[in-house]
Amino acid sequence: MESNTNCRIGVYICMCGTNIAKLIDVEAVAKHVSAIPNVVLAKTYKYMCSNPGQEMIVQDIKENHLNRVVVAACSPNMHERTFRSALRSAGLNQYLFEMANIREQCSWVHKDPEEATLKAKELINAAVNRVVYHEELESMSVDMCPNVLVLGGGIAGMTAALELADAGNLVYLVEKDKILGGNLARVDLTAPYLYSARDLLTERITRIMTNKQVRVFFESRLTGLTGFIGNFKATIGKLNGKPDNVTDQVEVEIGNIIVCTGFKEFDAARIVHYGYGKLPNVITSFELEKMIRAGRIITKEGKTPKYVAIIHCVGSRSQEFHPYCSRVCCMTALKYAHEIKSANPESYISDIYIDMHAFGKGHEDFYRRSSEAKTLFLMYEKDDRPVIHKASPKDDCEMLIEVNEKLSGEQIEIPADLVVLMVGMEAREDSHEIARLVNISQDKEGWFIESHPKLEPVATTTDGIFIAGTCVAPKDIPDTVAQARAAAARVLARISKGKIEVDALFSEVIEDKCSGCRLCNQLCPYSAIEFDEVKKISHIISALCKGCGVCVAACPSAAIRGRHFTDQQVLAQVEGLFET
Amino acid sequence: MAIRVNPTFIDDLDRYGAEDVQLCYQCGDCSTVCPHADDMYIFPRKSMRFLQMGLEQKIETTLEPWLCYYCGQCSIQCPREADPGETMMSLRRWLISRYDFTGIARKFFKSRLTEILTIIAVAVITAVFLIYYGFSGGNITIYDGEGAFLPSGFIHRFDLSVGAVLLIFLIANAIHMWYLVMIKGTDYPVPWWIYIKQLYQLPWHFFTQKRYSECEKKHEHPVFMPWLIHLGLMLGYVTMLVLVMVFIEQLQAGPEIRWQVHIFGYLATIGLLAGTFYFIRNRIRKNYVQYKKSHGTDWVFVILLFYIVVTGILQHLFHRIGLNVAANITYVLHLMGVVPWLLRMPFCKWSHLIYRPLAMYFAEIRREAAARQESIIQSVPVLIK
Repeated sequence: MESNTNCRIGVYICMCGTNIAKLIDVEAVAKHVSAIPNVVLAKTYKYMCSNPGQEMIVQDIKENHLNRVVVAACSPNMHERTFRSALRSAGLNQYLFEMANIREQCSWVHKDPEEATLKAKELINAAVNRVVYHEELESMSVDMCPNVLVLGGGIAGMTAALELADAGNLVYLVEKDKILGGNLARVDLTAPYLYSARDLLTERITRIMTNKQVRVFFESRLTGLTGFIGNFKATIGKLNGKPDNVTDQVEVEIGNIIVCTGFKEFDAARIVHYGYGKLPNVITSFELEKMIRAGRIITKEGKTPKYVAIIHCVGSRSQEFHPYCSRVCCMTALKYAHEIKSANPESYISDIYIDMHAFGKGHEDFYRRSSEAKTLFLMYEKDDRPVIHKASPKDDCEMLIEVNEKLSGEQIEIPADLVVLMVGMEAREDSHEIARLVNISQDKEGWFIESHPKLEPVATTTDGIFIAGTCVAPKDIPDTVAQARAAAARVLARISKGKIEVDALFSEVIEDKCSGCRLCNQLCPYSAIEFDEVKKISHIISALCKGCGVCVAACPSAAIRGRHFTDQQVLAQVEGLFET
Repeated sequence: MAIRVNPTFIDDLDRYGAEDVQLCYQCGDCSTVCPHADDMYIFPRKSMRFLQMGLEQKIETTLEPWLCYYCGQCSIQCPREADPGETMMSLRRWLISRYDFTGIARKFFKSRLTEILTIIAVAVITAVFLIYYGFSGGNITIYDGEGAFLPSGFIHRFDLSVGAVLLIFLIANAIHMWYLVMIKGTDYPVPWWIYIKQLYQLPWHFFTQKRYSECEKKHEHPVFMPWLIHLGLMLGYVTMLVLVMVFIEQLQAGPEIRWQVHIFGYLATIGLLAGTFYFIRNRIRKNYVQYKKSHGTDWVFVILLFYIVVTGILQHLFHRIGLNVAANITYVLHLMGVVPWLLRMPFCKWSHLIYRPLAMYFAEIRREAAARQESIIQSVPVLIK
């Protein structure tokens, strides 16, 4: 650590146009700051983040031999990277930098100019105090193993695997079933263009089975995972009927994992209104797919149904079951209307829905064509579900569906011989098991969480673990395929680089102080701490550590040091707040 | 009690002309643009919905189709091209066959062949009867008076008997309409005095067709044209009906022209000729949205009417210039059109002459009765909270 007297600090106060300057007297702040010991210069500027602003820092570092920089501007989330790179280009270690947030935490949230100016002074004082103790830190780089593990042999898993294998990488594809294809293999045609699902799949399956770069593990699952990005060791076990009974464990070395474990359908028996399981001719969408694939749409009694009713949002868009929309059911229902009508032109289709979600390419057109084909659309209010009961013998139908029809305001009953329930998607029951194994998070519905919903849709908070398809959220085939390819592209980019940079902000165990109590081992949310059985002390895998600081706070012996968040740095910063 | 949806209803309505109703997704643009839809009578949106769902019990008791004069703005505005205007037209056809207890109207609307064959049959029977009568006592060279081929006294009795048959059907159908609309379809009490109070609606709407003129409010048409032509055609028709039923003897007599009678005949002829010409021209040109789709019965309607007008004019001309034989022949030809025309009236579109003013009358009765019921409910103190 450098001594205080050698510090030459430059402080830059940004006006952010008028965002900061309209409330805070930046000149007064600059005057105050320049009087702080070790501060060589204090400047104000309209936009520090602009190119001239950054060039000013670079110039000052070179001319005034600055060795610490403080920028008082917006949130570090916004521009810390910008200024760090300015430091790097001036030949200074990027960690010898600190930001004081005088916009979000000061000018935007206060009204009194005097008090805001005082607070800005305090915040900068704290930053200056802290930056004195900053150390030069270096990022690490680790080797990237080019092999990839893909979990799930559905359309997402197969697409990702092929993309990776075609680029020359070895892919381990783990599928719990005897066959590839996943949920798509249970479908006949796909909406809205009515491509055959079988055609979509067979081409992919053939390519996978003949590709030497893809090793498929049928009836298998991931049983264990150790290591970190670029250097994982995964164990794959053969399933023997029961999930707990796993044999023939194989260990493979991989660099990245793509999770494509898909969805399972909602259990329709949970909604008592619909009498699923009790009324024989109330079936789920997947049961109808089975009939269509078999080529005969008939009731349990073997008759051709004259009246077919399709009920949307079974398990979806309800506070009681799942609040989200399952996204594919609306178009699938229209597809059924089309398929049933083609199989039996004498039939009448009633489509009982909450809202028609026809958002995708070609969907609106498909909806229109269904209307033209005289599908009867009936709207019900969310959470005011239709009720199905048996019709009396004198009716010309098997069942009657009672609905409060929203568009007419009438209470109606709809005749039906066959009722199709559009069951929604839900997270697989073993998804928490997978989440635990590969160390990713799930939301309250059980879907895997992406690291950013908009900008990082296939990455997770664990480096080296990617997610794609319907294990993330309900989605249709094009979106699933797009995600699978996106995940594969992310992995390929890393493989082609060969090495991976690991952020320097990780914690480290001071070996002399560690008593080996292992308290931190359980607390680490990233499974980054392992126990050294020989030395009897804990050890932090820096590539896995995110620098969250949980272990630092928890260690009873103060044996763990969070780099860039040392006690000295944090305390100096706190003291700085009270000096002004 | 839940109302049963009838998904098959839509197939039935296809033949009345409502082909695109299933495209409607209930956005309500049609009701917004309609100058007649209000809080109580929401159309075409609601009518479209009932139709899609096949709620026959609801449709047979509605008045909405009669409150529409088909300006066609709704069909122009419709984002789904579901053609609400034409749907209302088809609903009127359906209602005519619903009011008709004989089932003849239904057959006519559904099969063009049945309709045309029936017309020809009635025309032939009429011709045979008239020719037989003419030759049994008269002379084809005499037009009126002693020894005439078809003397005016006989024609008068003949017209009255045809008119009586027509009237029986019309009254029976109107009573059926009243029962469906005011008894079956009205779930609040209607005191008898409202019937008296609103009685003025009948002549008012019959003779002015005021509502039709309101259709023009949002229109791009030549101002008031369809309304004026329609009114002229209707007044001409009614005048002619009165002349034929009551003043036929004065009208037929020669040789001098009795201006106090004939002036009405000429005016009525102008109205009829202009009207039929206008509607035939528009249906051929398909120039406005309401003439784009012509149901078969629409063509039978205008062509038959045009035939009657032309033969009537010819008959009058021949008589005036003294070609009595030609006049008598055209008289038979004329009546061959008139008799099926009159007998067909309760079973076809022309019956809207009666149903429309009745519907306006019932609509206002319902409106007042509903308001009265509402105020009674409001005035009852709420004891339980």
